[in-house]
Amino acid sequence: MSRSILITGANGGLGLGIARAFLQESPDNHLWLGVRTHRDAAIEMQSQHPDRVHLVELDVTSSLSWDLAVETIVATHKSMDVLINNAGHHDDQLLAMMTDDSWHKVIDSNLTGTFNGCRAVARTMMGQRRGRIINIASLSALLSPPGQANYAAAKAGVVGLTQSFAKEVARAGVTVNALCPGYIDTPALSAMGPEQRQAAIAKVPMRRLGRPEDVAAAAVFLASDGAGYITGSVLKIDGGIF
Amino acid sequence: MAASSESTIADSIPISPLFMDDLRQQIKDLMVNELMLQITADEIGNETPIFSPEGLGLDSVDALQLVVALEKKFGLKLPDAETARNVLRCVDTIAAAIPSAA
Repeated sequence: MSRSILITGANGGLGLGIARAFLQESPDNHLWLGVRTHRDAAIEMQSQHPDRVHLVELDVTSSLSWDLAVETIVATHKSMDVLINNAGHHDDQLLAMMTDDSWHKVIDSNLTGTFNGCRAVARTMMGQRRGRIINIASLSALLSPPGQANYAAAKAGVVGLTQSFAKEVARAGVTVNALCPGYIDTPALSAMGPEQRQAAIAKVPMRRLGRPEDVAAAAVFLASDGAGYITGSVLKIDGGIF
Repeated sequence: MAASSESTIADSIPISPLFMDDLRQQIKDLMVNELMLQITADEIGNETPIFSPEGLGLDSVDALQLVVALEKKFGLKLPDAETARNVLRCVDTIAAAIPSAA
């Protein structure tokens, strides 16, 4: 059966990796890539798979933007099957020096964006009595490092939201789970210098950075029929850091 | 039946008691199926309180599911918590709020 899958932050390394995995998983998967400021890579993916990849304008911090995006998908596809709340950004600063702007923007994009997404699809998925929501949190939610008070708080918020919401919609056949990636080799991580990168790898028992496909595989599984009894789970994907 | 500028010819047609019985039955069936209740539709009275422990004892999670299901099946819109509280008292109050029966 054909499925509609919305991925936010789809132009980023992780979003694209997740999109690729769903494209490969089944020809029945139709992807909606939520994009805002950056879209080059998403446009390229759409040009390669014009029948199965669509771009949708989405500012995750705006509930109006969410309503329009979900309306578009449901009007076209007649169902909203999988939502991957992946959009977000970090802006690391020590708390004592953290600006109001840095705090609020990180909370908005990561936590409010995920809340808006869950709320925007809730009634549609409950009405279908079917739906899968996968929230991309972070290892930072569980092992909050220094310099990430805003990001760690936002991602810990995503974990709490995931578990609370999972209980609310469980009876409706909708599952909600969170993934907590550790150090994943994406353009977002390339801001690290070579020394920082080595220091990061040294913290990973597997002695390598994660790949976007490592996270994508978990997302594909959580959206699969086999994961129907898994909800409110928080899955670390981090090469063994704990 | 409020006479307003929006009233239509349908407002003047009396509702058949048989129609209301059928509607009540449909609501009970929907409650049992959508909320996966461990009772049969026949065990739900028309005036059984839906949320009090003396009645069905459903919770707010059930309420939300019921709101979504009623909108999908009957086009009944319950836009806010206050309206929902008033309508979701018992099968009779739900039946009275469904557009085609109002």
